[in-house]
Amino acid sequence: MSTNLTPLTAPTEVRIQDIGSAEILVGIPSYNNADTVGHVVRAVSVGLAKHFPGRRAVLVNSDGGSSDETPVIVARTAIDFQHLFIADQQSILHRIVTPYHGIPGKGSAFRTIFEIARRLKARACAVVDADLRSISPEWIELLLRPILEEGYDYVAPYYLRHKYDGTITNSLAYPLTRALYGQRVRQPIGGEFGFSGALASHYLDQHVWESEVARFGIDIWMTTEAIASGARVCQSFLGAKIHNPKDPAADLSAMLMQVMGALFALMEKHEGLWSRQEGSQPVPLFGFTYEVGVEPVHVNVERMVLHYRQGLTDLEPIWRQILADDTFAQLRDLQGISNTDCRIPDELWVQVVYDAAIAHRKRIIRRDHLLKALTPLYLGRTASFVHATQGLTSVEAEQKIEALCHTFERMKPYLVERWQPPALQPVAPALLHHTTTDAGGDHE
Amino acid sequence: MNDFFNQALLGPLQLLGRQVLAVLPNMLAMGIILLGGLFTAWALGSFAERLFRMIGFDHFCDRVGMNAALLRGGVKTDPSRLVGRGIYWTVIVLASIAALGALNLAPINQFAQSLLAYVPHLVTAAVILLAGYFLSNFVSQAVLIAAVNAGLPPARLIAACSRWGIQVLAGAMALEQLGIAQHIVVVGFGITWGGIVLAGAIAFGLGASDLAKELLERRLVTRSKSNTDDDLHHW
Repeated sequence: MSTNLTPLTAPTEVRIQDIGSAEILVGIPSYNNADTVGHVVRAVSVGLAKHFPGRRAVLVNSDGGSSDETPVIVARTAIDFQHLFIADQQSILHRIVTPYHGIPGKGSAFRTIFEIARRLKARACAVVDADLRSISPEWIELLLRPILEEGYDYVAPYYLRHKYDGTITNSLAYPLTRALYGQRVRQPIGGEFGFSGALASHYLDQHVWESEVARFGIDIWMTTEAIASGARVCQSFLGAKIHNPKDPAADLSAMLMQVMGALFALMEKHEGLWSRQEGSQPVPLFGFTYEVGVEPVHVNVERMVLHYRQGLTDLEPIWRQILADDTFAQLRDLQGISNTDCRIPDELWVQVVYDAAIAHRKRIIRRDHLLKALTPLYLGRTASFVHATQGLTSVEAEQKIEALCHTFERMKPYLVERWQPPALQPVAPALLHHTTTDAGGDHE
Repeated sequence: MNDFFNQALLGPLQLLGRQVLAVLPNMLAMGIILLGGLFTAWALGSFAERLFRMIGFDHFCDRVGMNAALLRGGVKTDPSRLVGRGIYWTVIVLASIAALGALNLAPINQFAQSLLAYVPHLVTAAVILLAGYFLSNFVSQAVLIAAVNAGLPPARLIAACSRWGIQVLAGAMALEQLGIAQHIVVVGFGITWGGIVLAGAIAFGLGASDLAKELLERRLVTRSKSNTDDDLHHW
């Protein structure tokens, strides 16, 4: 195990020495979140006071150099516990507000949080985004209690979302992670997670902090690494997730590149593990599930299809390099079909994703070009999903996603045959050597 | 009669003989240098070809689109062999210059020296052309993908412009390096580039005013959500 320490600022070092140790740590990575971070801090503080009153807890804000008042708000936000009927607050919540070192990005913020958790010997940790509007104190309980009392190492969030919300998750991250690693984690790139101190330490020991993971892709990396390390994984139902809208000008291809790049890179790292995995297991879900009304989502399908068609015309030489001949031929056959009937079926989409993963591994073209060139294909697939689920309820749309997941699992031999790894040797889970065949298996 | 025979016939013949004898070692040296050069060229060329093939140079060229470009230009030889042949002929040329120098004749020496002085310029020009080619391929691919993802209809045109812009620039720089009509190249490049920009501006302003309007509106009034935008959260 590596003993390299992540550098922390001198005041943070002093603060850690003052605190000594903690049982619970909640981290909030932030960057210019002055509008919402106060609410998040209040929810975390109340959640800890209400559900874990006797436990020594620390709140860590790892800030990326906000130019607004974010760190000040985190340090000064006060909570009126009397009004919340919390009278028996037994321990003071310590707060550490620190900038992070390294490559700018959420990953580096998390690294600082993991390091503080290791130094304080925290048993259970959680991270929540600073832009959340729907976070409630119960989220803290749901993210931490499975670790403290049920022996789990990793808690993924489970949100209620509109059927057209989180399309990268639905069409790519969830089905691919499930097919590869055999665990049905519904929101693998959710943003809010709970994890044990041992897992935080394992994360720190991975040599990824100078790579793109430090910049982005940390969410899918954490989930995959947890599964691959043999950690016990569960989910907690958090209700609806409402957060500040992302920058509308945010580049979709950059977002797609983050997720796909991380997924494909992790496939190379864990090829010995996923190539032998067959089927998938359900992952235990904690919390009281309920239905909530979600805001309607307006979708411009026409524009997506036009994007796809332009990609088919203009990016043909690149797609020909990335995709198998048969896959490209099937895509080309869609060219003459009207916009309303232009669909990328499940099988074809799975072939596209698997072909892209293989091309990424073989470095057929520059990897960033490869990932960005897939954007029109993704839009075509999203348009197909919208067409297929128009008029369906969320439950029925979920069944469509389930069918896609089955297709990913059924067609996995297509990937394994073409992957041609140097040696497919089984890799023993590195963290705690849990049994991974049963999602609810014993904690050894 | 004897004197005449000695002076008029033997004298020139003796002189010729002495001259031939004086040049003969140089000729011999030239032959040796040529033979040595030929052997070195063959050995180095073969070695380089094998080495490049071994380190996967052909595969690399395939990835960066070099093989496709060579095929387009009617060259069916693989890149490793091309490098090998390039080294072979470079050594042959250098050996020939050295061999000519061995003759120790003033005009040939002068020619050899000026040829040698020109070699660094030739190499620099070749490097510029090669770098320009790779850069243009990389940039045009990146521009094409970005333009398609931005939904710009003339994506291929934009990518082609970026490719040819870089290749023309590299060509102009290479010609300047070779000292061929330096001023004409600079002026020609300036006029061509200025002409392209002007033509583009006129074409865009007159022929595609609606597209220009739409683009500017999209660029400047992005924050006001039009009814064609969607609220999809991909993440």
